[in-house]
Amino acid sequence: MRKFRHEVKDPIHAFVQFDDDERKIINSRPFQRLRFIHQLSLSFLVYPGATHRRFEHSLGVMELAGRVFDVITNPRKISDEVRSLLSPFVDLNDPNHLEQWRKTLRIAALCHDLGHLPFSHAGEDKLLPVGWDHERMTRKIIEEGEIADILKSNKIPAIKPELVAKLAIGPKKANDLEFNDWETLLSEIIVGDAFGVDRMDYLLRDSHHSGLVHGKFDHYRLVDTLRICTPPAESETGDKSKEPSLGVEQGGLLTSEALLLSRYFMYSQVYFHPVTKIYDLHLADFMVDNMKGQKFSVDAFEFVKTTDNEVMANIFVAAGDKLIPGHKHAKRIIERDHLRVLYERYPRDIRINKDAVQIVYKAAVEKYSEQLVRYFLMPAKGAPADFLVYQNDDRVDRALNMSQVIAHIPTPEKEVVYVDSSIRNDATEWLEKERNRLIGK
Amino acid sequence: MAANRVSAVVLKLIKELKNKGSLCGETHVQKTMYFLQEIEGVNSGFDFMIYKHGPYSFDLRDTLASLRANGIIVLVPQRYPFGPSVALTETGEALLREYSVQLEADVPKIEHIARVLGEKEVVDLERLGTALYVSKTNGIGSDFESLANEITRLKPHISRERAMDALKQVNEVNPVP
Repeated sequence: MRKFRHEVKDPIHAFVQFDDDERKIINSRPFQRLRFIHQLSLSFLVYPGATHRRFEHSLGVMELAGRVFDVITNPRKISDEVRSLLSPFVDLNDPNHLEQWRKTLRIAALCHDLGHLPFSHAGEDKLLPVGWDHERMTRKIIEEGEIADILKSNKIPAIKPELVAKLAIGPKKANDLEFNDWETLLSEIIVGDAFGVDRMDYLLRDSHHSGLVHGKFDHYRLVDTLRICTPPAESETGDKSKEPSLGVEQGGLLTSEALLLSRYFMYSQVYFHPVTKIYDLHLADFMVDNMKGQKFSVDAFEFVKTTDNEVMANIFVAAGDKLIPGHKHAKRIIERDHLRVLYERYPRDIRINKDAVQIVYKAAVEKYSEQLVRYFLMPAKGAPADFLVYQNDDRVDRALNMSQVIAHIPTPEKEVVYVDSSIRNDATEWLEKERNRLIGK
Repeated sequence: MAANRVSAVVLKLIKELKNKGSLCGETHVQKTMYFLQEIEGVNSGFDFMIYKHGPYSFDLRDTLASLRANGIIVLVPQRYPFGPSVALTETGEALLREYSVQLEADVPKIEHIARVLGEKEVVDLERLGTALYVSKTNGIGSDFESLANEITRLKPHISRERAMDALKQVNEVNPVP
């Protein structure tokens, strides 16, 4: 008997299920390419287990997006106010209408990472033409590439590529488009700061594969307690903004705290790990030199022809041949001769001198040379975790007012000065002697 | 962090809003910064789009995140039903003093915007910000009727009457002389 539902085993979600239409997307070349794009770039050089790919992450994001959609559109969770506010955009009483939106959302979730370069984020700003990033590339592949062909050729009826792209990349990266309240909510499900399933899946999956257990949180509980909320009135008259957003029921507040702590730990230990970061820089330098300054094509069909495999093969060859452009960077990667941390932001130093890291960097360049010293800033991003909480007495408050934990989770930001391994010991001694003079006491 | 003049403008705005009695949550900072840019021409380089409660800048959001990460601002919880308030820390105050000369020309403009909008609530700022955004993107000379239609199209929960009122208020906000 022919199956209309399909499923694959997944270490995070047990099973990921999909239908015939979704399978058409999964079987496309742009999506199959994600099997060969590492989720965490070269982090496997630090965390050997972190060899997972964007393919399974994208399946996980689709699975979670569907679950969140089902929870927040459950009639028992929709207040009359929310139903009325969203009525210009969606008929929350019509199961067929909802099913169409659900499918659009799941396909958008599936496609949200299609535009990643080989090795994901490493070198994105150097290897794409000015004004391009992976989100814009994702949009192009959905709107103009094979995915558009699949959607438009009625293989998947009534799902518009433009809408899929819009939901997949969200308002931050599609700022030329207007998002109504419903579309904002749906894109929040995928790329939202607080409860975006992209983040939920990558935290859980990266934690699982890297072996860092504190990246885990109870996502089952979290998803089950999500809800569309409107903010409370902030005036005596009861006048209030009626903009709906994704919030959580009081019972999910602890799990939300766990999600945000997980994010903090994963940023501190994996995404902003100084050694994984420097490998990313060596990799980007290699690709720039090896491609002789050329950029990746932004043609939707051309772009999907390159994966990590071709780049890694080039690195191996270049590492052994001085004449190949990018040799010295390839050698650093293959022989693990990466730049070493000389100094990184230290809270006590920053309190004394907010420019401490840059001062150390400039002094080190003066002492050694620009070729042997490197500065890198991994900036803080994102909104504070000030989501709405639907309380047991039907009041809605803000998480930051209710949770001491959320109010005190630090925002990760990292600033590092690296030096070549050949001067590491000397530079360490030098900094020890000069530290007070440079930074102050 | 890369402390710069733009961060100092944001800090000064937060400080002035608080001086004028604003609750000064992130939404207050977002909307008043938009006015500061559009009405007073203080160029912060933030890109605004219509998103959460009207004009919203993801760049400004990230700047605020970086200021928080560096202990320059903090979020202070408030009593129900108010959202958390943004406040400068001692480090933030020191940074502001350090940039006092570079900010000299902008201070009257920041004070003016804080004076005009400091006492407004989120719900007012949402309407006013959206009205200004619609006026700017559709041309200042466009008639109020069509601009009000555009506001209610973008934010259906804003009534037409309130949209008209917001347009009139925005029309009366002039740059500092």
